[in-house]
Amino acid sequence: MKADITLLLEGTYPFVSGGVSSWVHQIIRAFPEWRFHLVFLGSRREDYGPMRYELPANVVGLETHYLFEPEPPPPLEVPEPPPPVMGQVEALHESFLAGVPPAQAMLRMAAMFPTLLEGQRLTRDHFLRSRAAWEFVCNRYRRFCTDPSFVDYFWTVRIMHAPLWKLAAIARTLPASPVFHTISTGYAGFLGALVKARHGRPLILSEHGIYTKERKIDLLQAEWIKDNRNVFQRDPTEVSYYRSLWIRFFEWLGRACYDAANPIIALYEANRQRQIQDGADPARTRLIPNGVNLARFRPLRDQRPARVPPVLCLIGRVVPIKDVKTFIRAMRRVVNVLPEAEGWIAGPEDEDPGYAEECRNLAASLGLTDKVRFLGFQKVDELMPKIGLTVLSSISEALPLVILEGYAAGVPTVATDVGSCRQLVEGLTPEDRALGPSGAIVGIADPTALADAALALLTDEARWHATSRAAIARVETYYADHMMFDAYRQVYRQAMEQH
Amino acid sequence: MAGIGFELRKLLARNTLGGVLQAYAYAGMIGSGPWVLSIIGILLVGVLGSGIVVPPSLITQFQTTVTYLIATSLILTGGLQLAFTRYVSDRLFEKRDELVLPNLHGLLGLVLCGAAGLATLIMATLFEGVSFAYRLLVVMSFTELAGVWLLAVLLSGLKRYKAIVLLFAVAYSLVVGLAYAFAPFGLEGLLAAFALGQLVLLAGMWWTVAQAYPSPRSVSYHCLHRRTFYFSLLFAGTLYNLAVWADKFLFWAWPDTSEPVIGPLRGSMIYDLPVFLAYLSIVPGMAVFLVRIETDFAEYYDKFFTAVREGASLEYIQDMRDEMVYAVRQGLGEIAKIQFIAVLATFVAGPSLLAWLGISSLYLPLLQIQVVGASLQVMLLAILNVLFYLDRRRVVVALTAIFFLANTLFTAVTLKLGAPFYGYGFAIALLLSVALGLILLDRKLDRLEYETFMFQ
Repeated sequence: MKADITLLLEGTYPFVSGGVSSWVHQIIRAFPEWRFHLVFLGSRREDYGPMRYELPANVVGLETHYLFEPEPPPPLEVPEPPPPVMGQVEALHESFLAGVPPAQAMLRMAAMFPTLLEGQRLTRDHFLRSRAAWEFVCNRYRRFCTDPSFVDYFWTVRIMHAPLWKLAAIARTLPASPVFHTISTGYAGFLGALVKARHGRPLILSEHGIYTKERKIDLLQAEWIKDNRNVFQRDPTEVSYYRSLWIRFFEWLGRACYDAANPIIALYEANRQRQIQDGADPARTRLIPNGVNLARFRPLRDQRPARVPPVLCLIGRVVPIKDVKTFIRAMRRVVNVLPEAEGWIAGPEDEDPGYAEECRNLAASLGLTDKVRFLGFQKVDELMPKIGLTVLSSISEALPLVILEGYAAGVPTVATDVGSCRQLVEGLTPEDRALGPSGAIVGIADPTALADAALALLTDEARWHATSRAAIARVETYYADHMMFDAYRQVYRQAMEQH
Repeated sequence: MAGIGFELRKLLARNTLGGVLQAYAYAGMIGSGPWVLSIIGILLVGVLGSGIVVPPSLITQFQTTVTYLIATSLILTGGLQLAFTRYVSDRLFEKRDELVLPNLHGLLGLVLCGAAGLATLIMATLFEGVSFAYRLLVVMSFTELAGVWLLAVLLSGLKRYKAIVLLFAVAYSLVVGLAYAFAPFGLEGLLAAFALGQLVLLAGMWWTVAQAYPSPRSVSYHCLHRRTFYFSLLFAGTLYNLAVWADKFLFWAWPDTSEPVIGPLRGSMIYDLPVFLAYLSIVPGMAVFLVRIETDFAEYYDKFFTAVREGASLEYIQDMRDEMVYAVRQGLGEIAKIQFIAVLATFVAGPSLLAWLGISSLYLPLLQIQVVGASLQVMLLAILNVLFYLDRRRVVVALTAIFFLANTLFTAVTLKLGAPFYGYGFAIALLLSVALGLILLDRKLDRLEYETFMFQ
C-alpha cells in the first residue's frame, strides 16, 4: 500500500526505546488518517534486539538497513570512473575548504546527487577500487593530513564515505511518497536530501537533540580514532586530525540535510539557534515543542493534600547523565533545614547498576537512608499528587517530558540550566514570560543552589502556589499535545499540498 | 628463503672483500648445494663404477633411471612443496609452531603412499622383463625422493639451509661409497646404494624437523583444509617442474635424439650431458640471486609492509617501494652480469672442458646455448621469487604455464628443425618467460601501493 509519509529513522524507533522513539510512536498514532512507511538505518544488525514497539496499524511498511554491516568486496579490477565525474568530486571537496562560502559546496553537492543516485558513473566499486580514487585519496593526504599515518587516513576516509553508496542505493529503491520526514540529520538526513533530489517531494526535518553536536561529543570521546602524532607533533589544544575529519564530515552531512529540508523543526529555542549556527536557513526553522496529554493529568491537581507535600522527586533513569548524586547531596542540605522533607528517585536502575550502587552508598554515607528513597520505576499518575517538586539535576537534556507532566499536574520544577529547561521555567516569548516562573533554574553540579531553590519554594506556601499556577498556565498554553499534533498536521498538510 | 638474508647481511656488513666473497660463497653453497651435490654424486658413481660394473651400459641405465626418478618425483611433488612451504610459513607467522610436525606427518604419509602406489603401478605395467629387484628399488627410491623434496623445501622454509647442505653431502657421499661397494652387483647394486642414501637423507631431514618443532600431536591434515591450502601454489609448483623438464622429456622421446636404455626409459646421449654441465654454470648466478633478493629486496619488502601496517607516511611507503624496485633491478642486473661471465667462460673453456671429459666437441654449440638457457632460468627464478614475496600467485601460475607451453612447443619445433637448433627451444622459451615476467613484475611493482591499499 502506498504510504503518505515516509519516516527516516537513524538508530531509533522501533528498535531502540527512548525519548525520541516514544515521540515517533506518539506522532504515528496521532495521525491514523495517514499511512506511514518507516526506514530504519542502523549500524550493524547485531547491535539491535527485537522491536521495542508494537507498530500501529497505519504503518504500512518497515525497511531496515545497516550502514556498517560488512558487504561483499567488489571485484579487484573495476573500470575507472569517467574523468568529468572525478572532476566534480574534486571540485566538491575543494569547496569544503575553509574560506569557500558553504552555499557553493551545497550547489556542487546537489549537482552530484544525480550521479550518485544513477549508480553508474560513480559507484562504490569506483570508490573502493579504482586508480582514480586512489590518486584522489593520496593527493588529499599529501595536501591536508597533519597526522603522519597514511594507513589510518586511508581507512578513516573509506569507512566514513562507504555508507554514502549504501544510502544512494536505499534512495534508489525507496518508494515515492508525498512527504519524507527525517528525525535527525546525519546519515538519515543525508538520505532525506537524496530522496528529495530523486522524488522532488518535500523533506521535513525534526531534530530532538542536535545530531552533529552529539556526534562531536561521541567522536571526542571515541577511543577508536587514532592519533599518531608524537609528543613533539601534538598540540594538546588541537583535536586529532581524524577526529576533525569525522566532525567535518558530519557537519557537511548536516548541512546537506538543512539545505534540502523545509521546515527545519527544533524542539526548543536554544536548539533552533544551534541549527542556524550549523547552517540552517533561519526562515525555514521553526519550533514545535513536545506536548503532554492534559486530560490525563488535570484530575491529579485536586488529589494533592491541602498542605503541599515536602517531597522532591527526581523522575528518570539512574544514570550518570542525570547526575543523581548532585540531587542526593542537595537533599542533605534540604533535610538540614526542613527535617520532614524527603527526596524520591523514581526510575529504573538496571541501565547502569554500578552507578545506582554508588548513589545508594552516597545516600547512606550522608545519613539519608530513610530520607532519600529509591523507588524504581513508578507510574507518573500515581506519583504526581504525592510530591511537591519535580527535580532535574541532569547535565544534559533536550525537552524533558517530566517537567511538562509535572506542570500538567500542577507541580513546579527545579531544574539545571540545560536544554530547554530555562525556556520551560522562565518562558520564551514576552507573553510566556509574563506568566511568571514555573519553578527555578540552577547551575549544573551545584547541590547548594539546588537545595536553596527547592527550599525557597517548599517553605513559602504562597510562592509555591503562584509557581504552580504559572506552571499550569504555561503547559496549557504552550505544551499541550494537541498543539504539537495540530502543528505537525499543518506541517504535513502543507508538504503534501506542495507541487 | 627469507632468513638467509640475516646471515648474508652480517657477512656483507663487514664491508671487506673477504666478507663479500664469503657471503657469495655461502649463498652459492646454500642456493646450489643440494642439486650440485646430486649431479656430482651421480656422475661420480659412474666414474668410480666404470671399471667394476660390467657391462658399462649398466651405468648409463643407472644414471638414466636416477634422472627419471628425480624428474618425475619433482614434478609429482613440486606443487605440494610450494603449498606446504606456504602453509608452514603462515603458521610460523601466527606463532603456531606446534602445527608443523603433525602436518608434515600427515602430508608425508599421503605423499609416500601416493608415490609408492604410483611407482608400483608403473613398475608392474610398463617394466615387464626388467628384474624384480630393479623394480622394487625404483619404487623405494621414488617414494623416498618424493619425501626428500617435501622435507627439503620445508627445511629451507624453516631456514635450516646448512642442515640441508650437510645432509645432502652426507647422503650423496654414502651413495658414492655404497655404490663403490655394491658395484659388483651391477645395476641393482648401484640402485640399492642410491636408495639407501636417500633413506638416510629422508631420515636425517625428518629428524632435523622433529628436533626443531616438537609437537604433542603426531598427525594432522590441517594443511589440506580449503582455507589453508593454496591451489594456485599447487599449480605453480607443478607447472614449473613440468616446464623445467619438458625439453628433456621431448629429447628423450624423440627417436632421432634418443635411444632405449631400460624398459620404456629412453636417454638422450647428445642432450643430457650438456644440460647437466650447463646447470653447474649457474652456481654464481644463484649466489648473486640469493644475496641480492634475500638481503636488499627482502629488507625493503619488510620495511614497506611494516610502514603500511604501522602507519608511516605515504612518502615513506613510496620510498620503500622505490627501494624495492631498485633492489630487484640491481639483483637482476647482477645476475645478468655474472651469468654473462659464465657464458663467456663456457665459450672460452668449453672445448677443453669437453675434451677433458672425453665428450665430442660436436656438443659444444649445445653446451653454449644451454648455459645461456640455464642463466635465464636463474633470472626467471629470481622474478618468480619476487612475485612470491608480493604474493602474486596468479601471475606466478600464468608465468609458469607460459614457460611450460613455450618450452614444449619451441623444443618440439627445434627437434623438427634439426641438430643445429637443439637447445634453442629451451633458451627461447626462457627468454620469452623472463621478458614477460619482467613486464608483469614491473606492472605489479608500479601498482604496489595502490594494490596493497585498494585491493583489501
